[in-house]
Formats: sequence, structure tokens, C-alpha cells
Amino acid sequence: MADRIFAGVLLVVAIGYTIIAFTVIHAPFQYDPLGPESWPRILGLVAIPCILFILARPDVASLGLPAKTWGRLAALVVMLFGYSYLFQPLGFIIATFAFCMALSLMLGAKLVPALAFSAGIGVVGYFLCTKLLELNLPAGVLTIFR
Amino acid sequence: MDAVFSGLASGFEVALDPFNLFLVLAGCFAGTLIGALPGIGPINGVAILLPIAYGLGFKPESAIILLAGIYYGAEYGGRISSILLNVPGDAGAVMTTLDGNPMARNGEAGKALSLSAIASFVGGTFAVVLMSFFGPALASYAIHFSPSDYVALMVFAFASLASLVGSNPVKTLLAAVIGLMLASIGIDANTGVARFTFGIPDILAGIDFLVVVIGLFGMAELIHLVEQQAAGTLKTLKIDKSFVTMKDLAFVKWTILRGSMIGFFIGILPGTGASVASAVAYGAEKRAARDSSKFGEGDMRGLAAPEAANNASAGGAMVPMLTLGIPGSGTTAILLGALLLFNVTPGPLMFQQRPEIAWGLIASMYIGNVALLIINLPLVGLFARMLTIPQQFLTPLIAVLAFIGVYSVVSNPHDLYMITLLGVFGWFLRKLQFSLAPVILGFVLGGLFEDNLRRALSISGGDWSILLTSWNSVILYILALLVIVVPIVVGRMRRSRGEDESPKAPA
Repeated sequence: MADRIFAGVLLVVAIGYTIIAFTVIHAPFQYDPLGPESWPRILGLVAIPCILFILARPDVASLGLPAKTWGRLAALVVMLFGYSYLFQPLGFIIATFAFCMALSLMLGAKLVPALAFSAGIGVVGYFLCTKLLELNLPAGVLTIFR
Repeated sequence: MDAVFSGLASGFEVALDPFNLFLVLAGCFAGTLIGALPGIGPINGVAILLPIAYGLGFKPESAIILLAGIYYGAEYGGRISSILLNVPGDAGAVMTTLDGNPMARNGEAGKALSLSAIASFVGGTFAVVLMSFFGPALASYAIHFSPSDYVALMVFAFASLASLVGSNPVKTLLAAVIGLMLASIGIDANTGVARFTFGIPDILAGIDFLVVVIGLFGMAELIHLVEQQAAGTLKTLKIDKSFVTMKDLAFVKWTILRGSMIGFFIGILPGTGASVASAVAYGAEKRAARDSSKFGEGDMRGLAAPEAANNASAGGAMVPMLTLGIPGSGTTAILLGALLLFNVTPGPLMFQQRPEIAWGLIASMYIGNVALLIINLPLVGLFARMLTIPQQFLTPLIAVLAFIGVYSVVSNPHDLYMITLLGVFGWFLRKLQFSLAPVILGFVLGGLFEDNLRRALSISGGDWSILLTSWNSVILYILALLVIVVPIVVGRMRRSRGEDESPKAPA
């Protein structure tokens, strides 16, 4: 079933991809015999039969995850989106601290080690990357570190 | 032959430059550390560290030397978690657990670790030596390849991928096509027509390679780790005082050589890396052994064969990448993408045009293998400590590294969402038993495949029969057909004789 749902979604995407390849993509002037549209057409026409085959003969019945795991994964994705959202405005140090705290606590870390770990990664990571390795990271609200 | 030696000499000049030498050692050390982490294999390690290495602004040869060091360092390190924890770092290390972990449980952990270090060293060195001779020869042959020959080569690469990797050939093929489709997003370089961009400015130039790699490997791995949620530390077996003896080495010397040979040649096949190599080497050794009853209970041969093979395949996989521009495994696909980021196009001309990269890389692998053997024998205890890092801290660290990498190179917050989405997508692919290596192979090869096809048809003025005009391409199509048909036929024959199927590699 899981296979079929996923393949179904893929099928919709692949059909959309193929339709766009056949209708929308068009070069104003054809420089080469194939043009920009032929390659995506070929890919679409290979992908669709593959997906239909999987729809016909799926081999993964279910993902077999309990509801609790799904909850944990959903929480992780939310945290990642939050981290992405806050990364630039808040700056690396604070965003990383918050993200590491949230994730390590969810995974069962004790409060004090988690605090030490998150603060360490945020602060040490920032200076290691920006000062020693000269990588570009956002300072965010802590503008004094810029 | 002279060209090989003068090439090697110039390569050692590059690799022995103090800074590059430092990078070889740093890469090997970091690679072993990463490989030793439970659940993180070479491909994830290279993926997570690639943008950081790129962001450091090194010269291309230095960056590729560092990344290659991480790659084969991680192949070495993978055995530590396999042996002591029974948790393989990646698919290539699965076979190592079969006999490595029982040996450790029988009180021979030290012996298993030292034996596998030596087997890895022999396999790795064997591969580099063959590579030094094969590489230039293959490159000078491939220099005459026409665009239509390249199309045939690509078809062969995807055929061997579909037939040898993963459990379901259709899924592997589809995974590769998904990669090709992802690569087709963005402005078409020949005509300037935007494809599948839907007016979003961030993807006009195509989806960034770094974003795809980090998303599909780094982030998907992170989600996988949270799903498994191994809270706390895993129980590791103690390293004892036992050590490999000359007698043991004499006992397994042919095993190691056979494993190296199998690993190298399977590594060369496009798309098939360590996982297939170690599985085939293990299976061959078990079948060749006169008394195979102890396999799976701690037979030294069962440990030495896959270890030699997976390190040899790491070297073998570099051969097509350097000489043809077609990666031999998922990880070399990432290395190929890394070279492209530096505007270096690997291919037959690289040995002539950018000898410092091609030969510098090869020479650094000689040094790296020796360095790995030296740091792995005495320092194995230190690396084994990595196994005790609590998972709840390791997991967030992966996300932080991925974010640092993507942000420091692209500095576009949009890409942070992109890696998360690709991570979710990659995790679903993994859960549904698609392998991810074909996706990245497809993504890296997409542009090359399309360009060559279009160039070939431009030459012929739109006549498709040009694809079949040269002997090179005809032979490659025949090989592609064989690589698909032979495993099916052999499988049928085996089943009709009622034998077990040979172990198929998970990917």
C-alpha cells in the first residue's frame, strides 16, 4: 500500500512533467535537432512505465512505523523548518542552540548535558567556522560578533 | 609505461606538498572517525563534509585530495562499528558484520580489527596500483570516444546500475530517472529556455548539486537516525589484547588477494560500489572454501574477503570517474560533482590537461593507504570511542553540519528548506527500498547524458542511427544487454537447481 501511494504521487508528478515537456517547453529557434524539449520527453516516457510497473507490483506493503514514531518524525521536520526559518534572522548561535536543545531533549537527553552540548555547539561552532575556517555564517541578532 | 612513472612522480610532487600531505592525513583521520560512527557510512560522511570542504576555498586538487581521504578513510572506519557493534555504517559494511562481529564476541576483537585493517590496506593499495596503470590506458583509449559512444557508455552505466544495485531493478532504474529529471530543472544551457522552473528565481540555474547531496544523504540519514532512535549509547564490545599473527595472515593471503581483485573490477563497473563488491567477494570466498561451516560464526576468511573487496572497490570506482567522467559508485558520483563545482570536468582529457589533479589524487591515495594502516593499528581504541557518543547529541550535530555546509556556500535561506524537503523525499525513497546512489548518479550524469545525445544528433542532423554506427557503441550496447540478461538467466538456472541465490547486495 505504501508503495502504491508513493508511486501514485510520483505518477502525478511524472505525468505533469511529461505534459509540460510536450506542451510548454519550446525553443524560439531550434539550434539542434533535439532542442530543449526532447530530453525531458524521453525521461518522462521512461519514468511513467516504471511507475506503472511499481503500481502493478508493489513490494513494500507498509512502512511499519508505530504512530509514536510518526509523531517524532513530524516533530523533527517541524524543528528543521523552524531552524531554517530562524537561521538567518536569529543568527547561527541562537538558532543552533534552540534547535540542538529541542532535538536532543526529544531524543531523551538529560537537561544539563543538553544545555552544555547545545551552547557548546552554538558558540564553539560559530567561532570555529567563522574565525578559523573563514566560512560564512549569519550573526543574526548578536551583531557584536559580526 | 614511462608516462605512468613520470605521471606518478609529478603526482607525488603534488601530494607531498606539506599542505596537501596534511590534508591527506586530516582527511583519512576525519574519514575514519566518521566511518566509525554507527550508522554513518562513507557516502553520508562525504556528503555532509563536501560543502564545508568547498567553502574553505582550497585549490581543486587539495579539496579533492581531502574528500578522497575522507572517502577511503570512512571505508576503513566502517569496519569498527561493524565489528564491535554489529551495526554497519553503510551497505558496503554489511558483509563485514557477518564474521567480524562473531569474532569479537569470541574474544578476538583485537585480532578482527587488526586483520581487517591489513586486509583493507592490501585491498586499497592493490586498487591504487592497478589504477595507476589502468587509468591512463583507459583515458587514452577513451579520448577517441565520440558523443554517440558516450551515450552508449551512459546506457551501459545505467543498465549495470539497474541490474546489480538494489533489490528491485525497476525501482533502481526509476531512482536514476528521478535523478536525471532533477538535473533537467533549470535553464537549458544550449537554448536558454527555462525548464520546470515555474518562475521561481532560486532554481533558474538548476537545483544546486550541494543541496541535492546534502538533502538526499545528510538529511535523509538524520531522519533515519531519529526514526531508529537509539537512545543512549549502544553496547560496544571491548577491544582485547588479541592481535593478528603471521600465521593468520598466511592463512588468509589468497582470500585477501581474491577479494581485492573482485573488489577492484566490480568497483570499475559504473554504479556498482562497495556493497556489491563485498557481497560478491564474501559469496565467492564461501563457495571456494573447502570447509565453509564456520562462515558466519567468526571465520577469518569471511572477514578478510569483504574488507579487502570494499576498499579495493573504492579505488576501482575512481577509475571510470577519473578517466571517463562516469562515476563508479554513489560516493564517487559525489566526488565527480565536487570536481564539477571547481569547474574541472573529469574525463579522458584530465590526465593531460589537469595532471596535477588526476595524478595528485592517485599519489595521495598511496600515501593515504599507508597512513590509514599506521593510524588504524595503534589508534583503533580512540576511534572505537566514537561509538560511545550518545545518539541524542550526534543526531542534532549532523543537522548543524548540514546547515553550516549549505549556508556557508550558497548563503540562501531558501536552500535550507530545500534540503529539508529533499531529506524527507530521500527518507521515503529509502523506506520504500529505492536506493539513493542511483539518484545522485542520475543527477550528476544528467547534463552529460543530455549534452552528448544532443551533440550526437546535431552531428547526424537528427538521424538516430548515428547511435549505432561505431563499434565502441555497439559493443557497449551488447554489454549493457548482457549485464541485464545474465543475472536473470543465472538466477533462473540456480533456482531450477534448487540452490540458494547468491547474496544480493542491499544498496
